[in-house]
Amino acid sequence: MAVEVRIPTILRKHTGGARAVSSRGDTVREVIDTLDAEHPGLKAAIIADAGDIHRFINIYLNDEDIRFSGALETPVSDGDVVSILPAVAGGAASRG
Amino acid sequence: MDDLRLPDDMATALIDHAQAEYPKEACGIIGGPPGEAGKLYRLTNVDPDPIMRYNADPKELKRVTDDIYDHDWDVVAIYHSHTHSPAFPSATDVERAFYPEASYVLVSLMDRQKPDLRAFRIIEGKITEIGVVRDGKESA
Repeated sequence: MAVEVRIPTILRKHTGGARAVSSRGDTVREVIDTLDAEHPGLKAAIIADAGDIHRFINIYLNDEDIRFSGALETPVSDGDVVSILPAVAGGAASRG
Repeated sequence: MDDLRLPDDMATALIDHAQAEYPKEACGIIGGPPGEAGKLYRLTNVDPDPIMRYNADPKELKRVTDDIYDHDWDVVAIYHSHTHSPAFPSATDVERAFYPEASYVLVSLMDRQKPDLRAFRIIEGKITEIGVVRDGKESA
């Protein structure tokens, strides 16, 4: 399956500045593996050592957050768009 | 680094959002052509400890960034409030600054009558304060 993958600015150093790249695979995990073969370093930035999506990375298949639809094993179809979006997060963390 | 140019009505809308969410932290994004604050998008803070942290609702974040992408805009700024501490990035803010292209706008409501709005770039762990130009008048 051929899909488009949208890359956030912070990861574009791995894609030569491209904000979208094409990839292939039957699941999101395979799409990311294919991507990493062409753009080394991307996978490590998205997937933690334990094999799950990093806590502050969101991955969407079209409009759906894959955390709620099978995570990295979510199947993809031709023409799908996979979006990688870092969390918008932070905070004072202490009341002092 | 370049100042952040922020229309006065957008600065007001941002502070209004922070006040409305108090004592929780408010958060959102400003999108626009590079360097231009075009549109303010409020986001819902879904962090389990919203008084001390923020984490924008991932579903809303997708909708907002799609809109920005479709316009061929940038994430010009990410804003949030500190309700009990100064308008300066915390260790958590630095650790979770995943948008190097954006200015990080902080509003402190330590004194709710006098909200303090400041802006920073946070790149690879380094904090740099930038000026905020409101309607052509430098305010920070």
